[in-house]
Amino acid sequence: MKLIITHLYYDLLNLYGESGNVKALKTILEEQGIEVIVEFKTITDDFDFDQTNLIYMGAGTEENQKIVLKHMLKQKEAFIKAKEKGTFFLITGNAIELFGSSLTQERKKTKALNFFNYTSTEEPFRIVDEALFKCNLINDYILGFQNQNRVIKNNKQNPLFEVVKGTGSYPHSKVEGIKEGNFYGSYLIGPLLVRNPSFLKYLIEQLVHYYNPDYQLKEFSLELEMNAYQTFLDNYYKEYVVK
Amino acid sequence: MRRLFAIFVGKSISILGKIFHRGSSLPGEIALKIDSKILTQFELPKKIIAVTGSSGKGSISSMLATIYREQGYKVAHNIGGSNLTPGIITLLLEHTNYKGKIKADILIYEIDERYTKFIFPFVPPNDVIISNISRDQPPRQGHFDLVYEEIKKAITPDMHLILNGDDPYLRKFTLSPNYDVTYYGIEQNQYSYFENMFSTLNLNYCPKCGSKLKYNYYNFENLGDYQCTNCDFKRPKIRYTVTNLDYEKNTIIINNEFEMHIPYSVLYCVYNTLAAFSIAASLGLNEVKIAQTISKISGTIKNFDEFQFNNRLVHILNNKNENNSTFNQSLLYIKRFKETKTIVIGWKEISRRYNFDDLSWLYDIDFEILKELNVDKIVCVGIHRYDIATRMKYAGIAQDKIVVFDNLRESATYIKTKTIGNIYAILNFDYVVPFKEVMKEAIK
Repeated sequence: MKLIITHLYYDLLNLYGESGNVKALKTILEEQGIEVIVEFKTITDDFDFDQTNLIYMGAGTEENQKIVLKHMLKQKEAFIKAKEKGTFFLITGNAIELFGSSLTQERKKTKALNFFNYTSTEEPFRIVDEALFKCNLINDYILGFQNQNRVIKNNKQNPLFEVVKGTGSYPHSKVEGIKEGNFYGSYLIGPLLVRNPSFLKYLIEQLVHYYNPDYQLKEFSLELEMNAYQTFLDNYYKEYVVK
Repeated sequence: MRRLFAIFVGKSISILGKIFHRGSSLPGEIALKIDSKILTQFELPKKIIAVTGSSGKGSISSMLATIYREQGYKVAHNIGGSNLTPGIITLLLEHTNYKGKIKADILIYEIDERYTKFIFPFVPPNDVIISNISRDQPPRQGHFDLVYEEIKKAITPDMHLILNGDDPYLRKFTLSPNYDVTYYGIEQNQYSYFENMFSTLNLNYCPKCGSKLKYNYYNFENLGDYQCTNCDFKRPKIRYTVTNLDYEKNTIIINNEFEMHIPYSVLYCVYNTLAAFSIAASLGLNEVKIAQTISKISGTIKNFDEFQFNNRLVHILNNKNENNSTFNQSLLYIKRFKETKTIVIGWKEISRRYNFDDLSWLYDIDFEILKELNVDKIVCVGIHRYDIATRMKYAGIAQDKIVVFDNLRESATYIKTKTIGNIYAILNFDYVVPFKEVMKEAIK
């Protein structure tokens, strides 16, 4: 089996360790005996996702988001085609804003890709917070971090996470992220998959079985990741640790 | 009256403070409470130099202060690194008389990047050095563009800027309006490379026209000889340039003429030394004497970062957590050495400033460099040992080479008895002294 992961705008949306997610997918898929090709594409390329199995995008500066968005709108057809085909999307950090209908910057509204109806608006303060979320797709908690200057207040999509502790979509929100079909999006920055091995495992199972329902996955070897997850939970969220 | 009262109280506390303990910004804090406008109340010296940027502020400004003193100037400088508003006020209080007059020929202050806009209007520098703007403490700073915006608000066209010409990002300051800029840089040398080695650069496109940048050579990350693939944007004419760099001898030569020792044989140290030289030289100080002073300073702190353990050399590499550049520089340093090595990575805490433990920056460091080296073991220590170990796994390090310890003492016993080769310790600054201590203890 062979899978192609397309890391989009790797040289512009690279603010908070985003490459960790692609590294995790590649390494763990390869451990499962699957051949993985990671393609790096950016604003100098024309997109065609026909061969792509998973599209990844991460967080960027507000300036780079603008540059990316301009290019994305020109490539809108390719994105829509990919979504209709069932291509997986993993979108982290403020990249999820680009898939809504608009985003505001310095009180100016910019049209976004319009995959979904939500809008993202600037807050007078930057949102910086630890996140402890729940995800109904897996049993473990989700650990993460948020660092963003906008919020999404009108997301009607199926959320990816429930907020246990932290900020979420906007201050005091109960949910965060988007899970629509094979589209997975979250404001959580950085190596989300590395820090959450159960979620990594879940996503890999979904991805592999979507493209090859008969593929036999072996036992995953995620001891270091699990130890990191458990140690963090023990140290920071004692009250949530199940004995 | 109130003016003199605030200065009187602040000054008096500053004198008492000197007797009891140094480095505190308490006098400034108290004076600021008495008079919120105290910064406007001083009679400042004619010559003021400000040093800001993500890293190197302390080293550059200290070196510069010594250079000026050695050439006969009376210098006021915030040596303790108190570089926020109260720290700057404390510095002024230490050097003022009771009438508010600063008794110094020159004021040199290092200033936190985000405080430049508060301080520059009241303590306006003639010359500003911005050492670099890197990824640094994202939970506090957000990201580098926001730091850039803050400094941009603080500088005015009457200020002389001293910038690293190898850094295309800093050129954003100079696009408009027009500034008088002095550039320094490092020419291509035996340590330069030609293919980008670092996956996470802050700038890949031209700040002027948005086209891709290309490099004739790299010194590190974004630093090197760059040019735009579309417009006329390129590395500027460099006034002070390192024409020879020799890490074996720990020396640099500037403009083919001025040779001097550097404190450590790492790149940031070359840039910091060059920066200090460039400011002083551009302001007319005697270049031969500057070089002598720098060599003298370098001699006093040499070898601080190395010691022997059982015929194994221990290299201590001092890093700043949440600042990927410092770690990338350490990796570039280690890459110079071909022998079998043991690597140690760890810290006590991610930040002493706040309680956030963001781990994303670990993936902005190119630990993949270690995969190509001759590594015996990678010892991951501290509270985030498994996060470090996981990072090593994803860097392509074989798992039997990765070991974890939750405390330094146990890691030291393991390093001493179970590993081979020279030891390269990539530590956050909070582990530097504790690590040296446990390495010097006898094996139990």
